[in-house]
Amino acid sequence: MAARADQPLQETRQRRRHGAPLARGFLTVLAATLALLVLCRILAPSSLTAGALAGSLPFAAVLAIVGLAQMLVVQQGGFDLSLAGGVSLAVVIATHVPAGDSAELPRAVLLALACSVAAGVLNGVLVSVLRLNAIVATIGVNALIYGGVFAVSGGVPRTTTPLLAAIAGGETLGVGNALWFALAILILVALILKKTVIGRRFEAIGANPLAARAIGLAVRRHQITAYVAAQGLYVVAGLLIAGITKEPTAFQGDPLLLPSVAVVVLGGTSLLGGRGFPVSTVIAAFFLTQLSQFALAIGVPYSAQTIIQAFALGLGIAVYSLRLPKGIKKLIKPLNTEERR
Amino acid sequence: MWDAAVAVGDRNRDVDDGCGCDGPVLLRLTGVTKFYSGVPALAEVDVAFRAGEVHAILGENGAGKSTLMNIIAGALPPDRGEIAFAGRRVPAMTPESAAALGIAISYQHPAVLDDLSVFENLRVALPARLFAGRPARAVARDILGIMGLDMPLDARGETLTVAQKQRLEIAKALALQPKVLILDEPTASLDQDATDILFRRIREVSRSGTLVIYITHRMAELRQIAHRVTVLRDGRVQGGARVDAVSDHDLLAMIVGRALGATFPPKAPPGAAATVLAVQGLSGRRFHDVSFAVARGEILGIAGVAGNGQSELMRALAGRQPAGGTMILDGQALRPRDLARRAAFMPSDRHAEGVAAGLSVRENASLAALAKFATGGLVSRRRERDAVDAVFDALAVKTPSLEAPVLALSGGNQQKVVLARALLAAPALIVADEPTQGVDVGARAEIYRILREAAAQGTPVIVNSSDAAELEGLCDTVVVLSRGQVVATLTGAEVAEARIVAAAVGAETRVALGAPRAAPASRLRHLVQADNAPAVPLALVIIGLALYGYGQNSNYLSAFNLANILALAAALGFIALGQTIPLLLAGIDLSVGPLAGLLVVIASFFVTEGQGVAAMAAGFALMATTALAVGAINGLLIRFARFTPIAATLAMYIGLQGCSFLLRDGPGGYIAADVVAVINAQIGPVPVAFLALAAVAVLGEIALRKTRAGWWIRASGGDEDAARRIGLPVARILVLGYIGASLLVAIGAIMLMAQIGVGDPRQGINYTLSSITAVVLGGTSLQGGRGSFLGTMLGALLLTEVLNIVAFLGLTQTYQYVFQGALILIAAVVYAAIRGRGADREG
Repeated sequence: MAARADQPLQETRQRRRHGAPLARGFLTVLAATLALLVLCRILAPSSLTAGALAGSLPFAAVLAIVGLAQMLVVQQGGFDLSLAGGVSLAVVIATHVPAGDSAELPRAVLLALACSVAAGVLNGVLVSVLRLNAIVATIGVNALIYGGVFAVSGGVPRTTTPLLAAIAGGETLGVGNALWFALAILILVALILKKTVIGRRFEAIGANPLAARAIGLAVRRHQITAYVAAQGLYVVAGLLIAGITKEPTAFQGDPLLLPSVAVVVLGGTSLLGGRGFPVSTVIAAFFLTQLSQFALAIGVPYSAQTIIQAFALGLGIAVYSLRLPKGIKKLIKPLNTEERR
Repeated sequence: MWDAAVAVGDRNRDVDDGCGCDGPVLLRLTGVTKFYSGVPALAEVDVAFRAGEVHAILGENGAGKSTLMNIIAGALPPDRGEIAFAGRRVPAMTPESAAALGIAISYQHPAVLDDLSVFENLRVALPARLFAGRPARAVARDILGIMGLDMPLDARGETLTVAQKQRLEIAKALALQPKVLILDEPTASLDQDATDILFRRIREVSRSGTLVIYITHRMAELRQIAHRVTVLRDGRVQGGARVDAVSDHDLLAMIVGRALGATFPPKAPPGAAATVLAVQGLSGRRFHDVSFAVARGEILGIAGVAGNGQSELMRALAGRQPAGGTMILDGQALRPRDLARRAAFMPSDRHAEGVAAGLSVRENASLAALAKFATGGLVSRRRERDAVDAVFDALAVKTPSLEAPVLALSGGNQQKVVLARALLAAPALIVADEPTQGVDVGARAEIYRILREAAAQGTPVIVNSSDAAELEGLCDTVVVLSRGQVVATLTGAEVAEARIVAAAVGAETRVALGAPRAAPASRLRHLVQADNAPAVPLALVIIGLALYGYGQNSNYLSAFNLANILALAAALGFIALGQTIPLLLAGIDLSVGPLAGLLVVIASFFVTEGQGVAAMAAGFALMATTALAVGAINGLLIRFARFTPIAATLAMYIGLQGCSFLLRDGPGGYIAADVVAVINAQIGPVPVAFLALAAVAVLGEIALRKTRAGWWIRASGGDEDAARRIGLPVARILVLGYIGASLLVAIGAIMLMAQIGVGDPRQGINYTLSSITAVVLGGTSLQGGRGSFLGTMLGALLLTEVLNIVAFLGLTQTYQYVFQGALILIAAVVYAAIRGRGADREG
């Protein structure tokens, strides 16, 4: 291309060189979280004591990690119901395989990782090669994984190994290790998604797989990667749960499934796929956890808590849906204008 | 005569004034104007159509013909101007009022629903009165006969060839015996025989007084069939004439000669430059034996009437679609894999395939070249931005910032971003499909310049355009395609709009391309592909499994165990029947499980020991009302608040679960034993509840196949756009569908209530996933449009049986889960494979 830098283009295109405009989702989630913290401070200071936080933050960290995992799948227009099985399997492998013997832990971790790769590849192939609906495929795979959970555990809980309890339940610099894990994973995911070639392609494929195919990108491979990476993160979450909880059951993953989707949606990632918002997702995980803590502290029964969560979710979706109609209109219009295109 | 009839450029004169040889004016358009995002698609169009005439509308692609027809048919409202029918002004034409006036349209893209059979397609699109009085199938056969169609009434829409669909579409319009018949490019995919039948029908109806509006860009047809012609160009009426009073030459003059307004860069200097790209005998889907050569510095154009294989050829040239033949680039034969890597492809549908909405301008531009800006996999933001900046400068892309969302740009600038992406990748070949579609004049000139510069630097450029004037200005060589074959290769001075149009429009190649005509589907195939076909294998598996269980333990088929299985299946079955409706509508309802749970909890307050009949009735009424409200909220959120079905019903899921816990924080409220006894009543070993399920499933199945409501659900779930075009109220269908789903769940909740016997807020939620499993086992597709209530019932039965047999044989829970998982995956894969073909077009 001939350089035409001398053209007076700078006037027509002022470049904002630094920083993307802050995402609407990020601001919404951040504002909501800050408002919640202020509310907690005024109405329920007990929910912000060191003791209460030390109890709740590790679970927020776990939710953040599975939220990031679910986000990767949702970015590809998918949906991973096998999260429940994936987390549960890692939990039971980490507790039953070593059977209290810390020296056996590394073997258990490797086994859990191997299983997660298998499950992720199975999910990915079913969805992107065999073109099954993501919900159907992951329901099936989830059941298969639960078969594994029972094969390993027989459905009974078992005390965790001291080593894992020390790693996952311990503190470093006064902060629970679970939080450090969540932070490390957040940085890793954000860095890969936003800074590397693979991550950038990954997001673009999610945003428009047809355009990605027209460019010549390997759409399927990236979609499969999403499911494998998600399973890998489930293992981390499962290990943390196994360490934090004294005697984890065989169903530790189940209660995480819906909140994982909720934090993804609250974080601003569209269920139709596309750009992911890892930081917002993690903040949403802390928001949701603190919301429960707040409700608990002011004496709201468990029931009302879930209703509050449902409303938070509904409002969150509504906030993001508001701008959709315009976008949809733009997309739909060409349909009626065949001749004009 | 000619002077009076042809009023080129004079819009104020009615085209047929002074020619009163036909019937009275039936339909008159005055000053009709339509804008698309500020760009006029139609400007001040005045036309008068007379009863009993065949009135052709002639014009190039993009001239505004289809827009005009959509306005007449009420599918699009005009921005200005008015429509008068039989002398009376029609204030706001809608599809309904158009139909009431007797206006029927046959669309260029047939509104034939793939998931419905031919018979159902006719029933759902045509008013019931047509089928009154005689056996409906006989009527349907007569309608097919109108267009000489001979195919089984039960053939599914998707098994028809494009030509068959077109004939079906025309037959549907003719069957209405309309006063105005609009045919939009009806012969685009018809062979000679079908065209002859069509022309015979057109002559018949026009003789009996019907106005036929016939849209085409084939002049030869015009001569055969039309009495009068109106020419559109750039959304304006260029003139009109009686067909017998106008020469081809004059018509062509009216069609072409559009003012482009954009300037073209100078072409490559003539002379014997070396060939850079040689294409020999390239054949693929919808094009055949295409050969050409591109010399260094040249731009090659592909021309033809839209839909004659150009798009497919472009994809093959870019390695995006398989093709046979050879391509030699710089003396090197290319394999498709190399081609895909080295060619830059600019797709024609910018929204669908060009830009990734939601990503920024920068991200869109740099996507294909990311690896160039990376060190060790990490993209250098600075290098990326500098490169994008540089190419944007060269392309004069106007964007508020590099981080602006790509959809915020004008169409022309979006297209430049796509072009920038192609250039940044430094391709060995540029394949641009309709590069200036939807682009304003200024940006067009820029795009021409950029393409020319790329060509000048030695990158061969191939451009497909439906705009012949553009090809004339831009290209050094133009290859004209008709029905997938090269009908002309124009070079030098031959590259002129008139020559291109004449070659494309005049071509009479009616060579059938060998490939597309599918073998006539056999009766067996229809049976195997029928929506409820899974019922037979499912029933066999259920029986086989039962016999196996019996073989292992003779108590398996005891009356007690049988009743147990059937009762459990009844609850799951009803909830799964409910789930079937949203899935048929291409949605999903995650809230069915918690809804069933909540309804049981509600019942535990009213339907308990010691309550009177009135209280119990109130309880059941409250259950029904709750279900109704939940379904309505789900439907409204999805339809009008634009939540995705997953998001809407997920929020509902969590909320309903909360409501259950709000009402009871633990098990409590024992259901009245009398009521439980009634619900659990048995006839022999068979619970009445299961008989009710079977009855509802069978009735639902019949409704799905034989009633208008069933066709509506399948039609709008399978192809919403086509359903809307045939006039179905898709929004109402969707909301009512979700309400129906919730009501079926309510019946399931009554069964569940009798099984649990107590209000427990923890029960019920598992039914969401098991209901989806049961529906998938039953063969309902999650893509919408296809499914079967009967299959769902059997799916629920099979699922219950599997869970039961595992427990009965003393196997561990491991098997229970593995069987369940394997069952759903195998079913999903098998069904996908059977439907397969066709669903996987994009590969």
